[in-house]
Amino acid sequence: MHEYSIACEILDQVLATARTHEAREIKSVTLDMGRLTHTNPEQLAFCFEVLAKDSIAEGAEFKVEMISPSIECDCGYSGPIEEPSGESEEEKLQSELLEYISALTCPKCGKNARIAGGRELLIRAIDIEK
Amino acid sequence: MLMHVINMGHDVFRANDKLAEKNRKLLEKHEVFAVNVMGAIGSGKTTLIEEAVKALKDRYRIAVIAGDVIAEMDASRFRKLGVPTVPANTGKECHLDAKLVEKALEELDLENIDLLIIENVGNLICPVDFKLGEELRVVAVSVSEGDDIILKHPMIFKTSELAVINKVDIAKAVDVNPETMKRDILILNPEIPVLLTSKHDKESLKAWIGYLEEGIKDMKGI
Repeated sequence: MHEYSIACEILDQVLATARTHEAREIKSVTLDMGRLTHTNPEQLAFCFEVLAKDSIAEGAEFKVEMISPSIECDCGYSGPIEEPSGESEEEKLQSELLEYISALTCPKCGKNARIAGGRELLIRAIDIEK
Repeated sequence: MLMHVINMGHDVFRANDKLAEKNRKLLEKHEVFAVNVMGAIGSGKTTLIEEAVKALKDRYRIAVIAGDVIAEMDASRFRKLGVPTVPANTGKECHLDAKLVEKALEELDLENIDLLIIENVGNLICPVDFKLGEELRVVAVSVSEGDDIILKHPMIFKTSELAVINKVDIAKAVDVNPETMKRDILILNPEIPVLLTSKHDKESLKAWIGYLEEGIKDMKGI
């Protein structure tokens, strides 16, 4: 559980950016979260909400968009993976993380490929009021 | 009142990655082979490191960074072996990060170290997202965690470069087949070397120790 320290880092960055833009209030924070990270969006939102109290980010809407993994293969393919369907019995037993990791094969040649994207945690944008 | 959207594009993990890269370059400059030993609580990380230190310390200069919530406990075990040891307390945190390692590196005489072993906090989840600057990422599990431990923690096996299944001598007692664990690891990461070890079987430890020795030699170009 390291959502608390990540939320601290996000709040620091967001407040610093808001200050440079002379914001009076931060209305919303939008994140892009890779599906291969071990960060839980609900826990992160909760930590942020608690930490943001009594700051200009208090009550800000916390939006998290999940980013699917992408790969790079020796065969030259680089791009998205085939999204797991989650339909078979076996897939239902699996965690979402395991489903995605199991799907990290190249859709062109079928080989196991390198992870290119899906491990990021990006503060994409903030909405501020001046 | 004016509403503004400010694009930030700040990657929270990238800050750690950058610092890890700085650590890696520093270690490389001093030809230090650095190993990040991650693994489950009680999987035998400290013991595996102790065995490697005992076997290699007469031929190579070794140092250890012991990362833990209370790091001093393990650090004192390594100090008894006569190698420089830095405890890295994570406090409340569940993993080491590049910043803690950067601080620990300041306390070590890198010019006189061939092998740096960094013991991470016992945890199969959180250390995955935080590179430290290591050359080799090792994940250790033991049979006593049960054979479903692998697929429950896919990302650590996917992103490691060496896997150790420890305590195989008690596999029967805990009703686990180490070969099933090995198979699962290879499903997640077909190219990873998987070692089966037990501290009571010195022969089984040779592969682990040999792997570290190879790394030291590669780093020195010998």
